[in-house]
Amino acid sequence: MSNTSPADANASAGLILAGIETEYGFTVEGRSADDQIEDAIAFVRGYPGPCFAGWDYCYESPRADLRGFRLDRLAVDPEDAKRDTGKTYGTPHEVRSDRILPNGARFYNDHGHPEYATPECWSLDELVLHDTAGQFVLLRAARVLSEATGRAVSVYKNNTDFHGSSYGTHENYLVPRELGFERLYAAVTPMLIARQILCGAGKVGSESGPRADFQLTARGDFFAEPANAETLFRRPVFNTRDEPHAAPQTWIRLHVISGDANMIPSCTRRKVGLVKLALMLEIAGQAPRWNIPQPVRAFSALSRDETREFRIALDGRNWTTAYDVIESYLAAAEQTLELNAEFKSLVAECRELLSDLAGPGALAPRSIDWAAKKELLEAYRGEAGASWREPVLQAYDLEYHNIDPAEGLYFALESMEQVDPMPSLDERLARIESAPERTRAFARGLAVSRFSNLLTRACWRSITLDLEGQELELELPPNKLYSAQLEAADDVGTFIQILRNS
Amino acid sequence: MPDGDRLTKPLTREPEKGGDDTGPTRPAVPKPDGGNELLRRMKKIDPDQAKRYRQRSGQ
Repeated sequence: MSNTSPADANASAGLILAGIETEYGFTVEGRSADDQIEDAIAFVRGYPGPCFAGWDYCYESPRADLRGFRLDRLAVDPEDAKRDTGKTYGTPHEVRSDRILPNGARFYNDHGHPEYATPECWSLDELVLHDTAGQFVLLRAARVLSEATGRAVSVYKNNTDFHGSSYGTHENYLVPRELGFERLYAAVTPMLIARQILCGAGKVGSESGPRADFQLTARGDFFAEPANAETLFRRPVFNTRDEPHAAPQTWIRLHVISGDANMIPSCTRRKVGLVKLALMLEIAGQAPRWNIPQPVRAFSALSRDETREFRIALDGRNWTTAYDVIESYLAAAEQTLELNAEFKSLVAECRELLSDLAGPGALAPRSIDWAAKKELLEAYRGEAGASWREPVLQAYDLEYHNIDPAEGLYFALESMEQVDPMPSLDERLARIESAPERTRAFARGLAVSRFSNLLTRACWRSITLDLEGQELELELPPNKLYSAQLEAADDVGTFIQILRNS
Repeated sequence: MPDGDRLTKPLTREPEKGGDDTGPTRPAVPKPDGGNELLRRMKKIDPDQAKRYRQRSGQ
């Protein structure tokens, strides 16, 4: 097994560690949003599968900003805060309910939402498998909560309640610290704006600004600034939170909060792949430069563009299109990077979809959530003669994201082979308990499944074991290729030794 | 939308100061006994469901 650091040695090959964290919407029959924090705690704590409760918060720094300063406090949504007037939820530790799973994932309650953070993955396909495996974890916890309370529980992989409350699906990419804020912002922001045409989840209506019938994204109404470290209020297109979950002198965790929760797995793959492509290009010094002076306005305008022209305003009254922006990254990647099979396939797929969107748009509903959702809704509107303002359209939008395979509209489309297929059920189920190979999540997951009796705490960055009364914290460097031999370790001493020699 | 020129290519990159080059089987969805599964599910949905759907703000 090589000790080569893939992130350092050959980032252009696509080996950038990435993960997805999804805050799920949920309803409990007879309960309201006022009860949601208590319900989210019960939701997570009832998870029936193997897990370890002992998250280590010591490396968390959500107020640190990539631009070199630290916020005194993070802003909160004033409307949401009203719900907590006069309420106490106990100490932060009493409220938080982190669970670490044998697959290396973190399942917890973030504010009022159950959240599933996948283990870190090297490949796009592996990340898609873990993202979809997370849906099973949520379903299992929801069924336990329903049985315990006697109330129906529904879970939605979406990002809005249609009334002004949004909750996020965030992507995380570990990149070298030397890239710094300015290069990352310049390389990634145009892609964050443009990629929504290929991976937005779609939304009926609007929650800020002028009324829209249908948007490409669920999140487009919720951005207020080009860049900042906020996530709850005045959210940015480019998030500058500096919380690397790895050695801070070496790594930046790029925290992308502007993406949507996707139901179609190929859409998730594309969403992450396009940002990875931008990062790979920037690491190679080849990322295209587009000067988009008003990223918030550009994001919102694109989200509301029903013409499929997809214009983006540039400096000096010039303009371009999302097609041209994405194509510039695809062309630069082909010309300057040695793409592996996964990224060659991504480039080809994106080109095919761009061409389709510029023309008949016949392929898009199979592969892009917004297009699948819009086709479904347009079919209903044609049949029923309904206007976009009919409440039932938002009800269908919501149910598109219901993660119960027996109820959700996305899953009906999937069963009818109207959208790109899911990975196999066996592959997805296997990821509930198995971590991505050769990642630090592999070591974390094994510590949970094999040595939980000795584990005192763990986080993305390290695991801490109690060895006969002595605590031993083991750092898990993210760029190591963790040995498969770890799995064969019969005792903790051998496990530690292999970990140190990996 | 401004009425300037359409730019189809990105800007020329400025030289970097220093730096380095470091760089399925289907889910367990019950098959309908005929007919359209999508329509069957859509008919079951309460038209006012989203009107009542309220969530806490998250991240």
